[in-house]
Amino acid sequence: MAITTARPDELAARVTAPMSYWRTVAWRLARDPATLVAGAVLVLIVLSAVLAPWLAPYDPNAGSIRLRLAPVGAPAHLLGTDEQGRDMLSRLLWGGRMTLVAALTPVVIGFVLGTGLGVLAGYVGGLTNTLVMRTMDIFYAFPAVLLAIAISGALGPGLPNTLISLSIVFVPRVVRVAESATVQVKSLEYIAAARASGAGVRAIVRHHLLANVLGPILVFASTQVSLSIILAAGLSFLGLGVTPPAAEWGLMLNTLRQSIYVNAVVPALPGLAIFVTSMAFNLLSDGLRDAMEIRA
Amino acid sequence: MWAYAGRRLLLAIPTLLGASIIVFAMVHLAPGDPIAAVMPAESSQAEIEATKRAYGFDKPLAVQYLVWLGRVAQGDLGKSIATRRAVILDVRDALANSLVLALSSSLLAFALGLALGLLAAFRQGRALDKLASAIAVVGVSVPHYWAGIILIIIFSVQLNWLPAMGAADDPGVLPYLRHITLPTVALALIPLGVITRVVRSAALDILNQEFVLALRAKGLAARRVFAHVVKNAAPQILTVLGLQFGFQLGGSVLVEAVFSWPGTGYLLNLAIFQRDIPVLQGVILVLATFFVLLNLAVDLLQTVVDPRIARH
Amino acid sequence: MRRVVILLLAAVLSLSWTDPVLAQGTLRIGMTASDIPYTGGQTDNGFEGFRFVGYQIYEPLIAWDLTRGDRLAPLVPGLAESWEVRRDQPTKWVFKLRKGVTFHDGSPFNADAVVFSYESIKKKDAPHFDSYGSGQVSFRLASLTGITKIDDHTVEFETNKPTSFVPYQVCYMLIVSPTQWNKVKDWRKFAEQPSGTGPFRVTKFVPRERLELEANRSYWDAKRRPKIDRLVLLPMPEPTTRLAALRSGQVDWIEVPPPDSIPQLKGGGFSITLNSYPHNWTHTLRLDKEPWSNKLVRKAANYAVDRVGICKSLLNDTCTPATGVVYKGHPWFGKPKETYDYNPAKARELLRQAGFDGVTKRPARAVHLISTSGSGQMLPLAMNELIQKNLKEVGIDVDLQPVEWNTLLTRWRAGFKTAENEGLNAWNISWNFLEPWSGFGRFFHSKAVVPVAVNTMPYINPEADRLIDEAERTFDVGKQNEILARLHELVVDDAPWIFVVHDQNPRALSARVKGFVQPQSWFVDLTSVTVR
Repeated sequence: MAITTARPDELAARVTAPMSYWRTVAWRLARDPATLVAGAVLVLIVLSAVLAPWLAPYDPNAGSIRLRLAPVGAPAHLLGTDEQGRDMLSRLLWGGRMTLVAALTPVVIGFVLGTGLGVLAGYVGGLTNTLVMRTMDIFYAFPAVLLAIAISGALGPGLPNTLISLSIVFVPRVVRVAESATVQVKSLEYIAAARASGAGVRAIVRHHLLANVLGPILVFASTQVSLSIILAAGLSFLGLGVTPPAAEWGLMLNTLRQSIYVNAVVPALPGLAIFVTSMAFNLLSDGLRDAMEIRA
Repeated sequence: MWAYAGRRLLLAIPTLLGASIIVFAMVHLAPGDPIAAVMPAESSQAEIEATKRAYGFDKPLAVQYLVWLGRVAQGDLGKSIATRRAVILDVRDALANSLVLALSSSLLAFALGLALGLLAAFRQGRALDKLASAIAVVGVSVPHYWAGIILIIIFSVQLNWLPAMGAADDPGVLPYLRHITLPTVALALIPLGVITRVVRSAALDILNQEFVLALRAKGLAARRVFAHVVKNAAPQILTVLGLQFGFQLGGSVLVEAVFSWPGTGYLLNLAIFQRDIPVLQGVILVLATFFVLLNLAVDLLQTVVDPRIARH
Repeated sequence: MRRVVILLLAAVLSLSWTDPVLAQGTLRIGMTASDIPYTGGQTDNGFEGFRFVGYQIYEPLIAWDLTRGDRLAPLVPGLAESWEVRRDQPTKWVFKLRKGVTFHDGSPFNADAVVFSYESIKKKDAPHFDSYGSGQVSFRLASLTGITKIDDHTVEFETNKPTSFVPYQVCYMLIVSPTQWNKVKDWRKFAEQPSGTGPFRVTKFVPRERLELEANRSYWDAKRRPKIDRLVLLPMPEPTTRLAALRSGQVDWIEVPPPDSIPQLKGGGFSITLNSYPHNWTHTLRLDKEPWSNKLVRKAANYAVDRVGICKSLLNDTCTPATGVVYKGHPWFGKPKETYDYNPAKARELLRQAGFDGVTKRPARAVHLISTSGSGQMLPLAMNELIQKNLKEVGIDVDLQPVEWNTLLTRWRAGFKTAENEGLNAWNISWNFLEPWSGFGRFFHSKAVVPVAVNTMPYINPEADRLIDEAERTFDVGKQNEILARLHELVVDDAPWIFVVHDQNPRALSARVKGFVQPQSWFVDLTSVTVR
């Protein structure tokens, strides 16, 4: 699925006056209620994850087996306890940390590495382009879920392995977008003029190319966060990601699954957390895309 | 057009080969002796020797790969460590089950997604659009394995209407339908969201074209506008449908895990915990091949629908 | 248009029709195994394989009496009418075989079949050697070194030394039909069309999905011909899946229901059967490597585990705390010195004695291989998480590595010293103590070290060797029990395992299932069961 960026005249307008463009984007973002709410929710989620050590009422691994599966609203446990008697609120807060780290890191890695590779392939063209893009095609041949599970299955469980396998999933996707955007921008007369006037490759890339391809790549990367969250939690759900007794939303969903017949609400909470976070990211990336007038 | 088709087919081959290299490498990624990854511990010496010869474990890696590739091309995917059946048999049975699930889920997602997307586009900005878009965003954001669990809680545990696991034991269409209902719904959620959004976006693009606006202003019948939109949005819709079908086939692992649906995802999951590398390799290779061929088919179909694409 | 609406309505309504039509007299069982146990004779998946496949399709020469629940299941004549050790040569046992028994394929059961079955397990160069089946059961027949056919209905086993354990080994050797095997000449094909003498015969085999059996109407024991027509076995390794399947009527009987659901099940008209049986759930420790090479650390671990918490709170009273190999009240319990009650303070004290202060100096990190489900494994993930926490609280760090049950068994039988297992420090496997060899001999004798048997730790203690040898030489049960009680006291003190719990074998049956007696055994008799 190729991302087609804005029309050439829009692009030219963006290129010639970058500052006011981003200001326009910011202004547009601020006016969209859905984006604002999503942004607020995300800030809350990220803050609560970062501040978990101070916000959590209990140690996420502490608990008495005798108090297991207390319902929501139980005395001393606002959101109940899990199947080992640990406080759900604390585990959700700490779990958010783990899930966000596991989900965001690969997207960031994908963004950095993917942009680098994609811009290189797009700018240099020729054999380098063919080599890089065909290699990325091979990884693209696997549906994301399958690739993540296959690599995790071979490497084994654990957070580092999860980060590796998810990064391998995302880099090719970003490369595609980055290469496509680079090729489009590269063809602009403005760039040709800069080159003709003797500007070095690095200067061109840094000043003109990057500023203009980063937009669509950023939007694309933001759409992948939701997928990354679902995948990271999904890997833990299958037993391939984070290992017990770590608190992580997907793993919690797995271990609490047994208990749905006793207490249906508590087991649903980690999934609800994944859902809300994922939706907030999606709404935000939608808003970003609309504000930047990128058509996907 | 045939030149384009030929070129795409040619491009698919190195992709498949590359995928096969990755799959081959899995045997050597797993810890321990590669022979241990493909043979049960209590195998007799004779069996081990035979396997070593068949896999060519003593030869250099490149030769091993070619030997393995040759066998794969003939349909020999090795033997499962757990069941000692030919992997191709296990994969074939599992693939059939996954295909059924993916097809039914695609039908649901496509029908609903198309309807919602078009509805949203034709009623842009109004309440229906907002509702359809909200449904779409929910669909794309929901972790489908969680949705599956929620469905089980509601329809199986509390209401006891529908079964919670597996394919039907009793023969017959009705039990099978009952068993496939919940997994279908769970698997359809994300594609539903994606398809709705793509259809809406594609339809809007066309509707907002100047000449369409002009025609509508002149009073062109709604049915004809509709037909025009559908025809011109078809390539994009086809692409996303193909991709989502691939997602449902290859990405059904999580839903199959929740419902114990005996498809490729379930097989994959089991093989991981059994450390059954031949089965892992077989499933991934078959699914990747399927996905590549599917993408190829979608691309070619697109050129049939819109010959302009072939030219670039 | 109206017709379409009516059709749609009908379809929707019929979807909510929950009571499927069933063949009368069909018993459908949800097992904890993740695949159909091997049907080619010597079955896999541990004792669950024996329980539902091995002992239903096939039979051994000596069988278990599973008809009563008020006493430990004893051995009774199976395909052999009688057996005795020869007075003149105590390493030879003569078995008189039952006459008039036929295999499912119609061929007669005789001494040739017994020899054939023995060779398929023990004779590596025989064309009918079953390497897979042999791997499953060979270690259980450690004392048997040879077999001779005396006549069509008499065989003679030879042992490596005089041992009273022979009947307890012969009961695990299942008799397969040589005629059937010779038709296909391949064990995989034989597994698809098996032929034994048991009360059930296989009709349909779908790998990974189901095994269907029908009653053997010409079973030799007229009193034990099955009352049901059909038996269907379904692998369901996930406890919630089993529960859902039972509640929705997909199956009539499930093994190991999720303990949390037991009150609900009882309220819903299902019956929960419980009984003690010779089961222990342990972490079998690796004794030649840190941290478990240190006896004080092992004892500390045993004082750190909250067994009562596991049984009462986690497992809803479907188990009892284990402070040794056997449970209190068993003839082999004796009077061990260590009580292994839940005492974290004592655990920390023991660790201090070993030189670990729990802060800067902690024992080496251990990696334990556990299973995700399986025969006798109860609820491994939840239980192990709690044990991991208990140990961490006193200063011992354990990492858990879950694998599938049959995979765990395979890796265990290979021992710790393979490349794959080198990084491990323990296995979490449930053991049986049906008889002296299974309970002690295969683990605690120096001669039982892998690959001869399954002393993987390895536990080397000359005093234990002496006691086991003496028990083996003793044919008097009372005296044998006393010797084993002394052995038990020794083992409990040495703490080569972390003793955790004894299972109470919970099963959940629908109200339609009648006539089932839960024996004090790992195995069950399905021939008395009826399904309404």
